[in-house]
Amino acid sequence: MIMLENYFPVLVFVLVGIVFGCAPIVLGWLVGPRRPYAEKNSAYECGFEAFEDARMKFDVRYYLIAIIFILFDLEIAFLFPWASIFKEIVSSESMKMFGFIEMLVFLGILLLGFIFAWAKGALDWE
Amino acid sequence: MDLKTAIFYFLATILVLASVRVITARNPVHAVLFLVLAFFTASGLWLLLQAEFLAISLVMVYVGAVMVLFLFVVMMLDINIARLRQGFWTYLPLGAAIGLLMLAEMALVLGGRYFWLEAMPEPAAPAAGYSNTKELGRLLFTDYVYPFELASVILLVAIIAAVMLTRRIRADKIHQNPREQIAVQRNDRIRIISMPSEKE
Repeated sequence: MIMLENYFPVLVFVLVGIVFGCAPIVLGWLVGPRRPYAEKNSAYECGFEAFEDARMKFDVRYYLIAIIFILFDLEIAFLFPWASIFKEIVSSESMKMFGFIEMLVFLGILLLGFIFAWAKGALDWE
Repeated sequence: MDLKTAIFYFLATILVLASVRVITARNPVHAVLFLVLAFFTASGLWLLLQAEFLAISLVMVYVGAVMVLFLFVVMMLDINIARLRQGFWTYLPLGAAIGLLMLAEMALVLGGRYFWLEAMPEPAAPAAGYSNTKELGRLLFTDYVYPFELASVILLVAIIAAVMLTRRIRADKIHQNPREQIAVQRNDRIRIISMPSEKE
């Protein structure tokens, strides 16, 4: 029960976010005039009929950027528990350098991937 | 029923409903958005279990990165729903057989023996000042160092695979090399020749 009280600010934050997002929509719906007719509801593309569907094949490099983002996002996620116990690790005698070096090895292996992606031009758009 | 149980049932109901909608929604974009809702409520459940770090990384990694990628893929693929539904009855026997097999396997693993209330006693209440993130870090960086380093190798393999799979050289690429442009000397471009002046 103690723990749930700690999350009260988060709950308030979420509620304020929801209200902030929904209030303009509800207000617009309540206050704004609505006089729809067939022409107003039809799709409008610069004055002529729509050529094609909005869904189309997209350049694969877009996904490459997204995948690389996910992988380095995961790498960062591993850093948080390490950072939270870092002081504890370096203050203990037996683990002193070990706790530091193991993270350097982890980051070093991923640095290889970063260099590879950079060298192959995966980070360039053109 | 205390507040914690009430919150659990509230979140669990949303989670189950959202998961059902993921597989029943006609529009794939709606299905992805319901999956996002399912991840959010699952992270709420993990918060109830005091697994704060896992809850936040679920939101950060899955909602923030994986689901955005899913949404891109779903929005950008030109999916023809009518054509997708065409082969439904021909694929049904094979699909149903594989589904039943997977269900049987899961029932063997999850059934009775390990997931009974008796087999899973309530864990001891954590001490005051308990931090899930610190406990996780302590385990991850002492007992499980080797799997932790292996995780980085797996991520490295994923980076290399993603780069190699999507790499292609475009033949119609037009580009400038700025270094060459700057390094150009006068002699590369013009040639001065001496010739006698001419009279009309």
